[in-house]
Amino acid sequence: MNSDAQAVTSPVAEVPLSRRFGVVWWAALAVSGALVLLLGYTLLSVSILGVGVWGVNIPFVWGFDLINYAWWIGIANGASLFAAILVLRRHDLRTAVNRFSEGVALFAVICAGIFPIFHLGRPWLFYWTFPYPATFQVWPQFRSTLTWDFWAISTHVIVTSLLWYVGLIPDLATLRDRARRRTSQQIYGILALGWRGSVRHWAYHQRAYRLVAILVLPLILIMQSTVAFEFAVTLVPDWHETRQPLHFVATGLAQGLSIVLLVAVLLRWGLRLRRYIDEGDIDLLGRLVLASSLVSGYLYLDEFVSALLADRMAQEATLSRMSGDYAGLYWTAIVYSIVIPQLFWFRAARQSTIAGVFVGLSIGVGIWFDRFSIIVGGLQIDYLPSIWRTYSPTLLETGLFLGTIGLFSTLLLLFARFLPVVSMFETRHDEHREKSS
Amino acid sequence: MTQHLYGIMAEFKTPEALSEAIKATKRAGFTKLDAFSPFPLADIAKELDCRTSAIPWIALTAALLGAGVQYGAQYWMNVIDYPLNVGGRPLHSWPTFIPSTLIVAILWAGAATLLGLLLILRLPRLHHPVFAVPGFKRASEDRFFLCILSGDPLFEASAARSFLETLSPEAVQEVPACG
Repeated sequence: MNSDAQAVTSPVAEVPLSRRFGVVWWAALAVSGALVLLLGYTLLSVSILGVGVWGVNIPFVWGFDLINYAWWIGIANGASLFAAILVLRRHDLRTAVNRFSEGVALFAVICAGIFPIFHLGRPWLFYWTFPYPATFQVWPQFRSTLTWDFWAISTHVIVTSLLWYVGLIPDLATLRDRARRRTSQQIYGILALGWRGSVRHWAYHQRAYRLVAILVLPLILIMQSTVAFEFAVTLVPDWHETRQPLHFVATGLAQGLSIVLLVAVLLRWGLRLRRYIDEGDIDLLGRLVLASSLVSGYLYLDEFVSALLADRMAQEATLSRMSGDYAGLYWTAIVYSIVIPQLFWFRAARQSTIAGVFVGLSIGVGIWFDRFSIIVGGLQIDYLPSIWRTYSPTLLETGLFLGTIGLFSTLLLLFARFLPVVSMFETRHDEHREKSS
Repeated sequence: MTQHLYGIMAEFKTPEALSEAIKATKRAGFTKLDAFSPFPLADIAKELDCRTSAIPWIALTAALLGAGVQYGAQYWMNVIDYPLNVGGRPLHSWPTFIPSTLIVAILWAGAATLLGLLLILRLPRLHHPVFAVPGFKRASEDRFFLCILSGDPLFEASAARSFLETLSPEAVQEVPACG
């Protein structure tokens, strides 16, 4: 019964429908699940005891919390931007990596959203940032970057999850039709919303999907800039710079690409999807990662040169970030996000699974140190010498960060287990086009 | 018997065969057709006169409405209803109202487009007559189907059936209407 077209996407569909999934998956899920429990514990402690359990204090009101927020949101925005560009360029690569770039974006923005909410101290009152007619007749202050952030994060969550789900509907229908067990037929059947593959439906589906993918582009740029504005609009000498949005957008893209590469390499190896994510795809991803890290390198250079030209206070603040108590963070960021990715000049490195994992992780780590360097190192020199002190995170803050990594990998593992990680209908479409051309 | 039928459906192996069949069916005068495929087929959608121009209009209208509501809300709350003088800065400080206006415009446009899409497609609809056709499952895999709907003015079950059989399909089947 198996024809060509069926054989094309069978392995992708078989993954979510198989009964067994191997020991590695269960082991990974157990580790991630333990970290999710840790996340619950740290969130519960900060809710009950207050933000005093964290190492934050004036002037470090943000600390680990915003470092991790800025880091996750960078991953989310980078991955989303990449996915949107692929769809718009109708690039062949989109078939292979689009679905999980969107997944990475969605899961990262969920992790990012946790931090600002719990940073409020009384997270259950977070809805105060929404303008609702409260009995105390006060409205949110819309001139504050924090309200912009509220809109940006909630918009990103809503639009990305809708886009991801609408893109999944036809593939969910395939799973419904292939499922052998009654329960999976019912679950995938309900999720597929009764998709029947009418050509008219396809036409509307494609148009709407592409249009919303276009909308994601400006959203991501505005959103990543909004994160940067939170620093740029303050009077802190090292932060009060117009180059901040550019720095956050460029390094965020590098970070998103590196995580997409990491996930692509792991899925390719773990789910044996070499045919769907082929060598050309991985090679192109590697080149993009290299290019984006070169752009980040250029911006680091720009940061240094504009510090030399800045007024005395800003100059001292930026140079202290490079040579002061927290210089280690700055240079770690440079090594991990700029120097190590240079490995990708070699074709063999771009093709290798181990090098892919290594460079993907390395940029992720590097940008995390960059955020740390900006948020903590940038506060070393301020106009009031009386607040020149140092910051270090407490165990609970570290636990919270590890917990979000656990949440991210749990969501990713469940996604790889229960949903098609590569768009099946796009793969069929591509095969058809190749055959007819 | 026509009132008990949703239509007559023919199954094809390739999109090219489906496309040929649709052209022939249109030449024969049938107008109420539907086609089913496992991936988007832009040419066939054009052949079936499917116009999707509603989608960008939904997006544009929603974006303008969302932007208007957000900017208006910020203006009314921060300038009229609860004016707060911060260091003598102007109450109507429009540059600071721009970021969330743009973001909310995208939120409205994105949500309206994707929810509007489901509304236009009349989804979710878990039950549909075509699902009753044996082998229709492969419409989500590797088969292509053409259906002449019973609402067609020329529709007559046995004539439509014998017409479809002339198009050398894999199979021709009746689609019983629900209820």
